[in-house]
Amino acid sequence: MIDAQQRFDPEAALISAAQQGDKQAFHRLYENYLGMVYGVCLRLMVDRALAEDATQEVFIQLWHKLSNFRGDSKFSTWLHSVAANVAISQLRKQRSWLSRVFSSEEVDISDVAAPEVEDHQEDKLAIWIARLPERTRIVFVLHAIDGYRHEEIAQMTNMAVGSSKAQFHRAKQMIKEWMGHE
Amino acid sequence: MNKQSFDQQLQQQIDALPKDVRPERDLWQAIERGIDTHVAPKKRPYGIAAAIALFGLVGTLVVVQQRDDAQQSLLAQLSSQHKQQVDSLLVKYAEQPALTDNWQAQLQQLDDAASAIKKALKEDPDNMALLKMLTQVHQQQIDLIEKVHAPQWQQI
Repeated sequence: MIDAQQRFDPEAALISAAQQGDKQAFHRLYENYLGMVYGVCLRLMVDRALAEDATQEVFIQLWHKLSNFRGDSKFSTWLHSVAANVAISQLRKQRSWLSRVFSSEEVDISDVAAPEVEDHQEDKLAIWIARLPERTRIVFVLHAIDGYRHEEIAQMTNMAVGSSKAQFHRAKQMIKEWMGHE
Repeated sequence: MNKQSFDQQLQQQIDALPKDVRPERDLWQAIERGIDTHVAPKKRPYGIAAAIALFGLVGTLVVVQQRDDAQQSLLAQLSSQHKQQVDSLLVKYAEQPALTDNWQAQLQQLDDAASAIKKALKEDPDNMALLKMLTQVHQQQIDLIEKVHAPQWQQI
């Protein structure tokens, strides 16, 4: 016997309504997934203002891409990858802009360590992750925290699978060293 | 610290990381503004006749074109206002000696950055981060002109 819980999936109903242009339903999805999306963006971007901008971009893109969601994967998994891709794309654009501004200095922006982490992030690992160079951090976050495979990360970041593995190893070495110094 | 204990310790800390983090400011209003500038992504029933689909396509193209035109017009207006402001400051300080030699090169560098952002905005007109960067670069240009001509610097 199928019970009511099995017949009615509230999230599927919300997604379906939002796909039909129901903004209230979309707002409910926003409320349900804001923490996850902002969390992904903040871990990848470190900077709160950039993460907020990226989060807004994710939900604006979501509104337009929602009709592409067919339910083949879990909605949270699908949205997570949208968020990660937007955050990486925003970082790439920012890096491209910084490279243009500082082109004369020939700085490898991707290899520069992130700025000092704000005081509110008390968790040590969060601080160490934020201190990692950008590419190393992206790989570490996506693989160790978000569970993406190196093949998937390579595709998302336009780097070779071997580079993704090397960056992950580098991240672990750096964290290990910092952990030893604590 | 041996490898196993490090890996275990690292995994414990990863597991303890909060996966959900709420932003401090309300983001919904900006999102709502962002999605209101677009056509709602309504699904169409499969039975709709080809003629209606064609009308829909033409209509969407017109709306998208109008939206793009409006955004490009906004960008053009923003650039024009900024240029007027810069020109007016340059006229104001024309007779006043600057305090650094390379300020015009710095101004040009910022101008190049603004051009790069505007180019990126043409390809991605809804990108709020790019728009924010552009306004920041514009402000940096204004600050630069004012600072190198500021009277208090001349007293030093």
